Amino acid sequence: MNMNTDKDWLRRRAEQEDGCFVSVGGLIESLAEKDESASVVPMKPAFVRFVQLARRDRRLSLEQFAEKVDVELAELVKIETEEHYKPTLRTVYKIAEFLKVPDKKLLALAGLLQVKDPQFQKAALKFAARSAPIEKLSQREHSDLEEIVKLLCEQ
Amino acid sequence: MRIPVQLFDHATNDAVEGELFDEVTVEHFLETQRDWRPAVIEAAKAMLKSGAPREGVPRHFHWDWSRKEADLKVLAFSFFGITCGGRLQGLMKLETAGRSCRLPAQKGKPLVYVDYLETAPWNIKTLAQPLGKAPQFGAIGSRLIEAAVRKSIEEGFKGRIALHSLSTSEQFYLEKCGMTAVSRDPAKQDLLWCEFTPEQAELFLGEGGGAA
Repeated sequence: MNMNTDKDWLRRRAEQEDGCFVSVGGLIESLAEKDESASVVPMKPAFVRFVQLARRDRRLSLEQFAEKVDVELAELVKIETEEHYKPTLRTVYKIAEFLKVPDKKLLALAGLLQVKDPQFQKAALKFAARSAPIEKLSQREHSDLEEIVKLLCEQ
Repeated sequence: MRIPVQLFDHATNDAVEGELFDEVTVEHFLETQRDWRPAVIEAAKAMLKSGAPREGVPRHFHWDWSRKEADLKVLAFSFFGITCGGRLQGLMKLETAGRSCRLPAQKGKPLVYVDYLETAPWNIKTLAQPLGKAPQFGAIGSRLIEAAVRKSIEEGFKGRIALHSLSTSEQFYLEKCGMTAVSRDPAKQDLLWCEFTPEQAELFLGEGGGAA
């Protein structure tokens, strides 16, 4: 993409724009959000299970995990217990940072990002479907955790 | 893509080097929330305190970029940002598929739709002045619109772009950029659908003798 390098053009544009609002979008979008739920594969359960397993694998309580990740405990509790809770961008970002997994894929798993990758969606759903929380991670859970980490880290 | 782009520095009354990029990330959203939003709120409060009518307070006072985070990886969307002086100065979201012209003479032809465009609040005179400041950089909006037109050309749409202008921005897009006001859109809160024809886009780019 080659941008205009003419300084006269730039000066004219700056004069034209001076004192004007140029904003497009935003509020309007937020007021009239499209219902995209029908076309989005739900991967949130996989996100919840991933967070639970990763936390337990580190032998961390919710409180300890929240402190280490630098997120609000209340939100972490909501993530793990409220099925329809939508985590904030920052929280998912911080969790990804702490667990050293790509933030964008974790955002997708958390339902904050749309991905057009059927294999990723299928694998995430498969992972979520094997949900059976117990106190200590079983060998199978260890394997599951490794599997989801591998999936998240795949290029 | 990262390319140099000149902006207008109001302090020196001269051009200053900035950068246009399309690798917009989550970090940029966080930056707008951290740096832009407090500045807009501060300016809006100052405007109201000085007696400005509520309807005069810019509508993007309410805007929230985090709404756009989910679109980052959708292939039909493109994002552009401008940085200068180590700070983010403007952001834009484009839709490059599924949109077409509404202007009768162009009806049905594909175009690039500007879904979101915003400049940092310290570049907007109306927001800077109530805080006793001068706007920093000029032509940010123009550079983003230029990028949208050039993206349209790259896509084979000959520079055709469209947007739903907020009422406060209509003057800029119609009078200052030379876009055509096509119609109010009842599906979009009666916002004005504005379009660039290829000829208008060329004029805007300055290749036909300068902006309208």
